Amino acid sequence: MSQLQARFFTENKKYVVDDVPFSIPAASEVQDLSNVINKLLEAKNASHTTVEFDFLVRGLFLRTQLSSHMETEGISTEDVVEIEYVERLTAPEPEECMMHDDWISSVAADSEWILTGSYDKTARIWSVEGKAVMTVAGHSDVVKDVAWVKRDGLTSLLLTASLDQTLLLWEWNSERNKVKARHCCRGHTGSVDTVATDPTGSKFCSGSWDKMLKIWSAVPTDEADEVEEPGDRPRKKQKTQQLGLTRTPLMTLSGHNEAVSSVLWCDSEEVCSASWDHTIRMWDVETGEMKTTLTGSKVFNCISYSPLCRRLASGSTDRHIRLWDPRTKDGSLVLLSLTSHTGWVTAVKWAPSHEHQLVSGSLDNLVKLWDTRSCKAPLYDLAAHEDKVFCVDWTESGLMLSGGADNKLYTYRSSACQMDVGA
Amino acid sequence: MEESSKRSEQRKEMEKERKKGEKKRRKEEEEEEEEILIFNHKSAEKEKEDEDLSDSEDSVFSGLEDSGSDSEDDDDDDEDLKVDQNLSQQEEEEEEEEEDVQSSLKKKDEEEEVKRDEYEHDSSDEEDIRNTVGNIPMEWYKDFPHIGYDLDGKKIYKPIRNKDELDDFLDKMENPDYWRTVQDKQTGSDVVLSDEQVELVKRLQRGQFGDVNFNEYQPQVEFFTQEVMLHPVTNRPADKRSFIPSLLEKDKVSKLVHAIKMGWIKPRRDSRDDSRGRYYDLWASEDTSNLARHRMHLPAPKIPLPGHHESYNPPPEYLFTDEERALWEQQDPVDRKFPFVPRSFSSLRLVPAFPRFIHERFERCLDLYLCPRQRKMRVNVNPEDLIPKLPKPKDLQPFPTTQSLVYRGHSGLVRSISVSPSGQWLASGSDDGSVRFWEICSSRCLKTVQVGGAVKSVAWNPNPSVCLLAVALDSAVLILSPALADRQVVLSSDRLLSAPQEAEPIEGDGLVNWSDTEGEELNQGIRLKIQHPKAVQQVAWHTKGDYLASVMPDHSSHLQVLIHQVSRRRSQNPFRKNKGLVQSVSFHPIRPYFFVATQRSVRIYNLVKQDLTKKLHANSKWISSMAVHPGGDHVICGSYDCKLSWFDLDLSTKPYRMLRHHRKAVRSVAYHRLYPLFASAADDGSIIVCHGTVYNDLLQNPLIVPVKVLRGHVITHELGVLDVTFHPTQPWIFSSGADATIRLFT
Repeated sequence: MSQLQARFFTENKKYVVDDVPFSIPAASEVQDLSNVINKLLEAKNASHTTVEFDFLVRGLFLRTQLSSHMETEGISTEDVVEIEYVERLTAPEPEECMMHDDWISSVAADSEWILTGSYDKTARIWSVEGKAVMTVAGHSDVVKDVAWVKRDGLTSLLLTASLDQTLLLWEWNSERNKVKARHCCRGHTGSVDTVATDPTGSKFCSGSWDKMLKIWSAVPTDEADEVEEPGDRPRKKQKTQQLGLTRTPLMTLSGHNEAVSSVLWCDSEEVCSASWDHTIRMWDVETGEMKTTLTGSKVFNCISYSPLCRRLASGSTDRHIRLWDPRTKDGSLVLLSLTSHTGWVTAVKWAPSHEHQLVSGSLDNLVKLWDTRSCKAPLYDLAAHEDKVFCVDWTESGLMLSGGADNKLYTYRSSACQMDVGA
Repeated sequence: MEESSKRSEQRKEMEKERKKGEKKRRKEEEEEEEEILIFNHKSAEKEKEDEDLSDSEDSVFSGLEDSGSDSEDDDDDDEDLKVDQNLSQQEEEEEEEEEDVQSSLKKKDEEEEVKRDEYEHDSSDEEDIRNTVGNIPMEWYKDFPHIGYDLDGKKIYKPIRNKDELDDFLDKMENPDYWRTVQDKQTGSDVVLSDEQVELVKRLQRGQFGDVNFNEYQPQVEFFTQEVMLHPVTNRPADKRSFIPSLLEKDKVSKLVHAIKMGWIKPRRDSRDDSRGRYYDLWASEDTSNLARHRMHLPAPKIPLPGHHESYNPPPEYLFTDEERALWEQQDPVDRKFPFVPRSFSSLRLVPAFPRFIHERFERCLDLYLCPRQRKMRVNVNPEDLIPKLPKPKDLQPFPTTQSLVYRGHSGLVRSISVSPSGQWLASGSDDGSVRFWEICSSRCLKTVQVGGAVKSVAWNPNPSVCLLAVALDSAVLILSPALADRQVVLSSDRLLSAPQEAEPIEGDGLVNWSDTEGEELNQGIRLKIQHPKAVQQVAWHTKGDYLASVMPDHSSHLQVLIHQVSRRRSQNPFRKNKGLVQSVSFHPIRPYFFVATQRSVRIYNLVKQDLTKKLHANSKWISSMAVHPGGDHVICGSYDCKLSWFDLDLSTKPYRMLRHHRKAVRSVAYHRLYPLFASAADDGSIIVCHGTVYNDLLQNPLIVPVKVLRGHVITHELGVLDVTFHPTQPWIFSSGADATIRLFT
C-alpha cells in the first residue's frame, strides 16, 4: 500500500502535535487519521481523552480516502501534504421545542431572547431556554417577519412585519413584561414580507410584495407622522386598526420588478435585497440609489450576509444555496453552489461567529448545517421538523433555531459551537 | 463461237439491206462494206471473206491492202502506210477512236463523191485530192463556174444545175432517196448516202461508236494488281536512287530537326490532347456505379478440390477404421466430415458408378442458386435521424420541473383553480362546497369561504386594480371580494360592485337575477350573486375585468352563454341559435373577439360586428377545454379523446399540431402569460408542459416542444388532474386534482 508524507497542524493549542512529517497510508480515511492524531496526543499527554477530528487538505474537508481526495483536487502525492485538523463538530441535537399555535413564519434571536412571528397574527418572545415570555398581538393579519431593533437594559425595541401591509414597532419591557406598540409603519401597498434593522439600530428597512423597499426610522417618538388618508376611508375602521403612532417611510427604494422576499443590511449604509424577479440588488441608503445587481435564474427566497467572510448566501426555489461576492460590480458570478436540499430553500443564515458555517431551511422539512469548506455535502442534516421549514437563525451563543409549518420552533446545540464560542 | 453466230446474223441483215439498195452500186457497196468491216475484227473479216470470196486470209490489214491494191497507184503507197498507222492506233488506243471514225466517215463521203474514178485518190484525210483549193469557205467560188482545181490545175466545173424549184420539189416527192441525198460542197455534186452511211450517221448522232461491232466495255487486263505475278511486268532493273539515300532529303530533314530544336517550328500538337478539352465525357461519372456493382460481386463458391480420400485407391491411412466408420454411420449427414466412405479399389476399372452423383450435382446447383451473388447494400438508417430536429428541453428552460408545494385542505376534488394577477394568491374551488384562498409561497390557506355547493369554476378578475373572484356553483355565479390586496384595490373593487344601483331595473329578460348578498355571506366576502336559470359550468373574465362570461351547457337551448357586465349589472345572451353543446368560452386578450368551444369545433365571434369570424375544426370528438394564447393568435384545445390541438389562427382552421401525449382524457389546458409555455392536464394524473414559441414573423410556424411530464396527483375515482394554470409571472404551474390537493411545480 502506498504511503504519503503528511504533516499535521492545528489552530487549537490544545491538540498540537509535533511538526514533523508522518508517513501515512494513502488509503486512510478520516477515522484513520483521527486515530493517528489521538495516538500522537496520547503519547504526548497521558491524560488525553479521545477526540474526533476532522481534517482539511488545502482548505477542503476530507470526506473520502486521502488519495482519491488528492486526486480529485489535483494535489501532488510526491510532496509532503499539509493537513489541518480541527475538532469534529458533533451532530447538533434538538434541544428545545417551542410549540406555537400556528405556523412559524419567522424567527429572530437575541443573545437572550427569541422572537418568533407566527401565522396566528402574533409574535412571541421566548427565552433561550424555551420558556414563553410574551405574546405580541396587534396585527390584523399574518406576521411575516420579525426583527430586534435595540436593547437598552430592560427595554427592547422589536419589529413585526405583517401581511396586513403594516409594520409595528414595539417597545417591550422585559422586567415588567409589558409590550407596547409605539409606531405603526404604514406605506406599503402589499404584504410586508421582510424587515431588517441596520447595525446601529436607528433605521430599519422593509421589503414588501408591492416591489418596494422602504427605509424607516427606528427611533420611537411621541409624534405621529402625517399620513395622507383617502377621504372616503371609514373613520370607524381607522380607529379600531390604529395601534401606536403612524409612521411614514424615510425613503422608498424602487427598482425590483417583483415582490421583495428578503432584505438585510450589509453595513450601516448599504442595504441588500432579494426578490422574486431573480435579482439581488444593493442599495445605497444615503442616496437611495441602486448600486449593483446580482442576477440569478430563479426566484430568491432568502439571503444572508456574513461580515466574517463577506459573502452573501442566497436560497432560491431551485433547491440550491448560492454564495455570492456582493462587492463584484458586474455581479452574476456564483462563487459556490451548495446543493443538497430537495425543496425550495426558504431560509439561510450565516453563523454569527463562524466564518464557514451556515444553516439553511427548506420546504423538504430539513434544516442543514453547512461548512463552505465541504461544499459537496452538508455537515449535518437536522431532521427534526415534520413539515416545511420557513425560518432559521442563530443565537449569538451559537444556538441554531428553526421554525416551520409544524408549529414548532427547535433549538439545536452542537458541542463544537460552544467550543468555538468559548475559544 | 457465240460471237461468230451473232456476226453472221448481222451480216444477213446487211445483205437484206444490200438487196434493197441499188443494184448498180452493189459492187461499190460491197467494197465499202469490206472497208467498214476491215475496221472491225478480223474474225468478221474472215467470214466476209468466206462469203465474198475475197482473196486473202492474212492479217487484219490485208483486206485494206487488197482494196488499196485494187486501185493501186504508185503515189499511194505511203498513204497506205498512213492508214496502217491509223488502224494500228485504233487497235491500241480505243479511247481516241471517235476522231478516227469521223475521219474515216469523211473519207467515205469523198469516195462517194468522186465515184469510182476518184476513189483511188481517196487515201488521205488531210487533203481532198479531187479539189486542191484546200479548206476554204466554198462560197468564195459561189460566183465562179468552177469550184476549184484538180491536181493538174484544171478547173473543176460545178455540175450543171438546171433543176428549178419545181424540179426539186418533184424530185423530193418522187425520189425515194431524196432524204439521203446530200450535196458535196467540195465538188458541188449530189451524193446519195448508202444505208450503212445513214446508219453510221444515226449512230454518231446518238453518240455511239461508228463501228457496230466495237465493244466499248472490253474486259480490262489488270497488269498492276496486288497479286504477285510470276514474272515481272517490266524487265527494267531497279533504279539506283531507290536504294541510295537521298542527300536532298537528308538535307531537308536536318534543317527541320534543327528548326524544331531551336524552337522555330512547334511540333504538331497531339490530336488526342486536343479532343480532351473539346468534348465532354458524358459517362465519366457514370461508370463508378457500374464499377461498384462489379466490386460488390461475389464469385460463385468453388467446389473443393478432391483429396486423397476421393482417390480410387487411397493410402490405407485415409481409409476408415471400424470406429470411424461406426461414427460416420451414427452421425447426421450434416455433421459428417465426408459425405462418402473412402474405399479402395485395385484398379480404376473396378470403381463403380458414383451413387451420389445426382445428389451432389443437385447440391451444387443449390449452392449456386442460393448463394448470394451480390453483397447486399444495407442502408443503415439511424432512427434518430428521422426525428425532426427539435431543441433540447434543456435549452428551453425555464419550465416547471419539480413539485415544490402541495396545498392541502380541501376535502373534495378540486375542480378549478385560479391565480391572482399579482401572483400572490391562489383561489381554488372544490366539490366540498368551499372556495379557498392560498398564499402561494407558503401553501398556507388564508381564507376559506363556504359557498354551499360544489364549485365548478373559479376565475380571478384579471384586472390588477380590482380584487374579485368569480365563482360558479350550481346555477349561480358569485362574485367574491376576498380582501387580500391593498386597501385601495379592495375599495375600488367594492366601488365596481356597488356602482350600478340606478341601472338595476333595466337588466334584461328576467333571465338572470342579480342580487346583493347579506349577513353571513357578506361577511365571508361574497358580494354579488347572479342567479342563472341553469347550472353554470364555467366563468371567464374579460381582460379589462368588467365583463364576465358564464357557460350553461345545454343541448336543447340557445341560452348557453351569458355575458355579464359587472359594473352595470347587466346580462345578455349573445347567441340566438344553438350551435352545439358549449364546453368552454374565452375572451380574446386584446381584440373584441369571443371564443366559444363546442363539442367538435371552436367558433370565434367578433363582438363588435356581432358575427362569426372563424370556425376552427378540432379533429377530436369532444373538446374539454380551451385556452387562448396571450398574443391572441393561437388557441389550444384539449379533448376527451386524449388529444391536444394547437390552432394557429393565421394559418388555418385546422389544427397546426396535434399532440397525443396523454393516455386519458385531457381535462384542462393553459398558456403562460409571459413565458412560451403551455400545459395540459389529463385524467392519467400527469401534466405535460410544452414549450411553444410563437414568432412574430408570419412565415415561421410556432415551435412546439414537449419538455416535461409532471406527475404527482393521485388518481381517485378515475379522475386525475382537473385543472391546471400557470403562475402569472414565474414559470410555475399549479394543478388541482381529484385527490383534493393542489400542487405547485417549479
